[in-house]
Amino acid sequence: MFNTLQLPSGHITHRGARFVNRFLTPSLFWLAVIALVLGSGAARAESGVPNAVPPVGTHKGDDVPQPIEFPHNTHADVNQINCMYCHTYARRSKVAGIPPTSKCMGCHSVIATDKPRIKKLTEYWENKEPPPWRKVHDVPDYVHFTHEKHLKRFVFDNEGMQVENVAEVCAFCHGEVKKMTVAHKVKPLNMGFCRRCHEANEGPFDCWKCHK
Amino acid sequence: MSNKVNRRDFLKIMGWGGVGATLAGCDMPTTVTLEEGKEEVTSYMIPEEYVIPGVGVYYASTCQQCPAGCGLHGRVREGRVLKLEGNPESPINRGRLCQMGQAGVQAHYNPDRITRPMMRKGSGLTTVSWDEALTHIQSKMEGVSGDRFAWFTDTVSGHQAVLMDAYREAVGSSRHYVHEIINNSVSRQVNQDMLGDPQPRLRFDKARVVLSFGADFLGTWQSPVHNAVEYAAFREAPRGVLVQVEPKMTLTGANADLWVAVRPGTEGVFALAVANALSAKNPAMLDGLPDKAKQLVRRYDIKKASRITGAAGEHIVKTAGWLAERSPSLVVAGASAEGHGHGYDTVAAIMLLNVILGNIGETIEASGAFPFPQLVARTGGTRDVMDFAKALDNKELDAVFFRGANPVFTAPESLGLRDKLGKVGLKVAFSQFEDETTRLADVVLPMYSAMEDWGTHVAAYQAGQAVIGIQQPLMQPLYEQTRGFGDVMLSLLKMRKVPGYDGYADYYAYLRDAFSALPDSLKNGASNDEFWASALQRGVLEVATGGGSLTAKVVDFDLPENPASEGAYTLVPSARLGLWDGRHANIPWLQEAPDQISKVVWDSWAEMHPRTARKLGVKTGDAIKITSANGSIEANVYVYKGIHPDAIAVPMGQGHETYGRFAKGRGVNPVKILALNTDGKTGELAHHSTQVQVSKTRVRDSMVIFGGSETQLGRKIVATVTADVYERTEGEA
Repeated sequence: MFNTLQLPSGHITHRGARFVNRFLTPSLFWLAVIALVLGSGAARAESGVPNAVPPVGTHKGDDVPQPIEFPHNTHADVNQINCMYCHTYARRSKVAGIPPTSKCMGCHSVIATDKPRIKKLTEYWENKEPPPWRKVHDVPDYVHFTHEKHLKRFVFDNEGMQVENVAEVCAFCHGEVKKMTVAHKVKPLNMGFCRRCHEANEGPFDCWKCHK
Repeated sequence: MSNKVNRRDFLKIMGWGGVGATLAGCDMPTTVTLEEGKEEVTSYMIPEEYVIPGVGVYYASTCQQCPAGCGLHGRVREGRVLKLEGNPESPINRGRLCQMGQAGVQAHYNPDRITRPMMRKGSGLTTVSWDEALTHIQSKMEGVSGDRFAWFTDTVSGHQAVLMDAYREAVGSSRHYVHEIINNSVSRQVNQDMLGDPQPRLRFDKARVVLSFGADFLGTWQSPVHNAVEYAAFREAPRGVLVQVEPKMTLTGANADLWVAVRPGTEGVFALAVANALSAKNPAMLDGLPDKAKQLVRRYDIKKASRITGAAGEHIVKTAGWLAERSPSLVVAGASAEGHGHGYDTVAAIMLLNVILGNIGETIEASGAFPFPQLVARTGGTRDVMDFAKALDNKELDAVFFRGANPVFTAPESLGLRDKLGKVGLKVAFSQFEDETTRLADVVLPMYSAMEDWGTHVAAYQAGQAVIGIQQPLMQPLYEQTRGFGDVMLSLLKMRKVPGYDGYADYYAYLRDAFSALPDSLKNGASNDEFWASALQRGVLEVATGGGSLTAKVVDFDLPENPASEGAYTLVPSARLGLWDGRHANIPWLQEAPDQISKVVWDSWAEMHPRTARKLGVKTGDAIKITSANGSIEANVYVYKGIHPDAIAVPMGQGHETYGRFAKGRGVNPVKILALNTDGKTGELAHHSTQVQVSKTRVRDSMVIFGGSETQLGRKIVATVTADVYERTEGEA
């Protein structure tokens, strides 16, 4: 490519070095910067949640046996049902809510009625007893956490965010539930975990925001 | 954080590293274990249309923690009541609520509630079915008629009182004993005799000077939350002056501009001396008074009054000066003025000031007649419990129904109720908790909590706009075997075949019908259903009271030349906003809330002046024995300047023998050792006149005091100036 300059080779080395020094080095630096920015942008695009830095941290949760081994994967992954279809209160309340049994029966009075898990569900329904689900994710009583505000920030008020991809926002704190059957706690949900995420995403940082 | 970090180091770290340094420990394992899968989370079967889990729904109701009848808003989430606040629509509390009201949820969720009906079989109480309990009552009551039956209750009003009356009348009895150890019965009698209105409306907000003789109107007197709202207006510019005269500093006393400690029993002398000082400047003030009253006023010049009361003469002059300069004023009397053998006369002397200062009709207004006399509050004091004891002595009673009141705890031990109650064939307790009286009952009927029951309430003290407070359930009953008071009354009326009650399935149906029967003038053209819905939504129903007017007649009264008690020390059984008369001792929040004056938590104490403490050789924390002619109690000393050297104050509320895990065996009950002295004119217990001996028993016991210092030790943490300096430098507020 230097041939186009039609300069003696000695010059080439010399002029080339100057070129590298004067122009190319800073350019490379800027290129690297641009690549980095684009790269991270690409990483963001991959997560499907714009304007967000997912929280960091892992936790190895216990197996929690549930009255019915509810397959989140069948619902959210295979059949692509939106998390908020069942956890309908998440957008309106501090709690996401366990779906009312009537919601399960809305489909399962006709779908897969012969499966043992559905038979068990139907039994609960007919006895007018909701299944005694076991709580997997929780924060202490002195922590005020609200699903509503987090969904507002990362989904509904988040420009470029597709509501269909809400599972990825849920996954910030709940892990990839759509790959699980019954839920496992895979994020620590302790104060450091919350704090780092609030720092990275410029969330509120006053003590009383959560401890009120 | 390692536990080597002390407070100073902590502050240094905060200073250097800012928040980040202290937050570095946030990934440490939490001290609260939130183990996965240990708790259940229950979903709805079918969701309620208007319910969003996690979002509160608010219902209006009426507070039952004391007789003031404040309006409530209860926040209900997922069918559970979580938080109580004041109802802004209620003219009584105007959106505010005191700590006792706030703690109502802990009465409701209390783990020591009675959950099943019980009957005495042999020596103990045995769980039985409702059918068995009610049938037993009915069969026993068949043999009871006339005055051999009695109700024994705390303050009751509204439709519950109507049903109680209906049952009492069906039996043919005229006996309904109402017992409240925290009361204003003597003042009510004086008001009736002087003003023609037992409970006139007091306008703290209009007054420019308030002179209070032991009336703890911000804490325990009449309607504390209402008074506090008016007090706030009173303190706004131009700032009103508050003078409090009492033997032991109350919450109100702690807020006063001038707090005067007087020898117990001499409040009347102080009042007459103020009248004397006022008339010295303006002799016309005494015109129109009966000669005897004039003589009494003239009897106490400042020097003499100062000698008798122990108050500085300049304080009498200063008080008179304020009263003369600023008008209108308001003079009120509370427990420490009422509770003497000459209580009526003391209160009359105090009320005399209102007459000569022209406050009647200004800051003391006629309450007007409540249009539904059958709903009006049945209030009482301590006279009824003494009449009750007499009736027991004479074997006049075969059956007594108890509700709310706990006289075995809140009456002096020397009245002997514990033994005398054995003479009654049938004792029925409508109760939520196993208190000292319930424990002695033959049949115990477990009641709904105030958050589960229906009711209507008419407060004894109606603040301006008179209202019927509506109590509605804030949630489903916690226990299957508890019942509503009104429901049980309807069952008993039906079982007794009292005509007119067969049509009501439950108390709710009865109330619906009662509301439909209210005059159209209250309904503003609404249908019965709309009217009921709006009453429930608002929590209060305003009713118009007839105008009414007040007289300003000075009654015949007299005081001993020197009314001070003669013994060495007078026992002051003090009341506090919190445990009240002991009914809230089973509420941990209120046990934990420090006393407003001593800051002691979870215990009893004996307040004592430093001079007295020196004389007895005791310090804060030492245990003393307080002995009256009727027994003795032991408590730790709390040395404090806010008490007269001749008084020893022990707060009421503790000293329960039973009443659940939070109350039992904690502290002592001063009411136990009170002498059975009575006020000569009203027959009320002279509860502030018991003479006691004090002796030291142990040194330095543990005593949990919040705070630990009464002064700022010269550090000026909160800068203050005296009223005089403020007025000189800033002008009149």
